[in-house]
Amino acid sequence: MEAIAEEVRQIISRELEIPLESLAPDTALKDLGVESLDLIEIIFALEDKFDISIPYNANEAAAAKGALAKAGLGKLETVAEIAAAVKGLVDAKISA
Amino acid sequence: MNRVVITGLGVVSPVGCTLEEFWSALVEGRSAIGPFSIARGEQGSTRIAAQVSRFDAESRFESRKLGLLDRFAQFALSAARDAVRDSGLEITERLTLETATVIGNSSGGQTTVDDSYFKLYGEKSPRVHPLTIPRWMTSAAASQISMDLGLKGPAFCVGTACAASTHAIGLAFHMLRAGLAPVAVTGGTEACLTLGSIKSWEALRVLSQDNCRPFSRTRSGLVLGEGAAVLVLEERAHALARGARVYAEILGFGMSADAGDITASDPDGAVRAMRAALKDAKRNVQDVDYVNAHGTGTMQNDRSETTALRTVFGPEAGRIAVSSSKAVLGHGLGAAGALEMAATALALSEQVIPPTANFEEVDPECDLDVVPNIARQARIRVAMSNSFAFGGLNAVLLASRA
Repeated sequence: MEAIAEEVRQIISRELEIPLESLAPDTALKDLGVESLDLIEIIFALEDKFDISIPYNANEAAAAKGALAKAGLGKLETVAEIAAAVKGLVDAKISA
Repeated sequence: MNRVVITGLGVVSPVGCTLEEFWSALVEGRSAIGPFSIARGEQGSTRIAAQVSRFDAESRFESRKLGLLDRFAQFALSAARDAVRDSGLEITERLTLETATVIGNSSGGQTTVDDSYFKLYGEKSPRVHPLTIPRWMTSAAASQISMDLGLKGPAFCVGTACAASTHAIGLAFHMLRAGLAPVAVTGGTEACLTLGSIKSWEALRVLSQDNCRPFSRTRSGLVLGEGAAVLVLEERAHALARGARVYAEILGFGMSADAGDITASDPDGAVRAMRAALKDAKRNVQDVDYVNAHGTGTMQNDRSETTALRTVFGPEAGRIAVSSSKAVLGHGLGAAGALEMAATALALSEQVIPPTANFEEVDPECDLDVVPNIARQARIRVAMSNSFAFGGLNAVLLASRA
C-alpha cells in the first residue's frame, strides 16, 4: 500500500503541477481547486501507470449507486481515497 | 424586416425517418436508446446509444452517389429532400439562385475517418480511398444538399459542437429576416457512432452506461445519438402567397459565449443567450409557454440549465413547461439543435408538449415543471429551444404558433 500510495501522490502532484509537500493523505482535491477535467486527467494517468481501469463517471461522483460503488470502491475525493481505490484495483488484477 | 416561417420539415432520427414516427415517439416518450452496432465496436465499453437503425441508404441513393456520401451526409441529404418535399415548395429558376443552405455539424465524416485510419494503422494499408476527403469534410453535408437540390445561394456549414444546428438555423433565420434570401434549407446532421469517437467520449467520463434521464435525480450522464433534421425556412409573405402550410414562425435568435470552462457550462452564458433571443424577438418571458431544453442528462448541464431558466424567467419559471427530447433521441450533437427545433415546431403546430421521458425522481436542483413522462395538451404561444455547446457556445431560438 505504501509504495502505491506514494506513486499515486507523485502522479497527482505531477498532473496538477503542485509540490508533493502540499499533498497529505487527507488532502481533498476539491480544496486544491481541482475541477472535473483535472480529475479525469489524473485518473487517466493512474490507469496508464497501473494498467487498471477506474470506473469513474463524472455524473455519478456524488451518487451512492454509481459505477465506483458497484466495483466496491469508495469515493475519489482525497489523496488517500484515490490511493485506496488504485490499491483495490491493482489487488483485484493480481488475484484475477 | 421580413417575418420568417417554417414550412417544411425532414428528419432522420433514431426513432424513425418520417415526421409521424418522430413525433409519435416524442409524444409517447418512446426512447430509441439501446444496444447499437458499429464496426470494431467490441473494443468499446459503452453498450448503449440512440442509433438510426431503419435508414436504408441503398434505397435512397444510387450507388455512384452513395460512394461520395459519408453517413452524416446521407442523413443530411435525406432530411433535406424530405423537408423540401414536405414544404411543397417548387425550386424555381429564381429560387435556385437565391435559396440559402446552412447546415450544422460537429464531427464531420467520422465513419470515413475511422475506416480510413483503421486501414492505415490497423491493416497497415499504404493508402486510403481517393474520396476520403470529399466524404469526411464537415462542409460535405451543406455541399451535397446544395448540389442535389441545385441551390446556388449562400451556403455554408456551422461547427459549434452541440449547438451547431441551432446556430445554423439562427443564422439562416437572420439572413431571411434581413432580406438576404427568400428561402433557406437549414438544420444539422451528425453520425459519430464510431469506435474512435465513442472511445473519446468515454474518456471524458460523461457517458451514461444505463440510460439518459434528463432532470431526474438519478441521471447518470448523456447517451450519444445520431441523425439529421432539416427545416425549410421561408419569408412569411412568400409562404402565404403560395398557400403553404406553416408549422411555426421563428421570432428570435440569441447567442453568447461563456468564456469560461471548455466543458462545464456556465448558467450566466445560458442566461445571456436566452435573453438575447427574447430581445431579438421583442418578446418577454410572459409570452413563453414551453422550453425545449438542452437537457443532456449530465449532472452538470441539467443543474446549470435549471439555474439559468430560473434566472431568466424569475417568478414565471414555475409556470413554464420544460422538457428534454434527449431521453428519446439521445444527444445528436451537431444534429441535436435541429432535431429539437423540429420537435419544437411540431409542439407549436400540434399544441402538445412532448414529455421528458425516462424520468424517475425529482432532483431538488432541477425543480422546474419538466413534464415527466406524459405528454400534455396545452396552449403554447411561444416556445424556446436551447442549445449549450461544450466550449461555452450558446444558441437559443424562439418560435411562435403560426
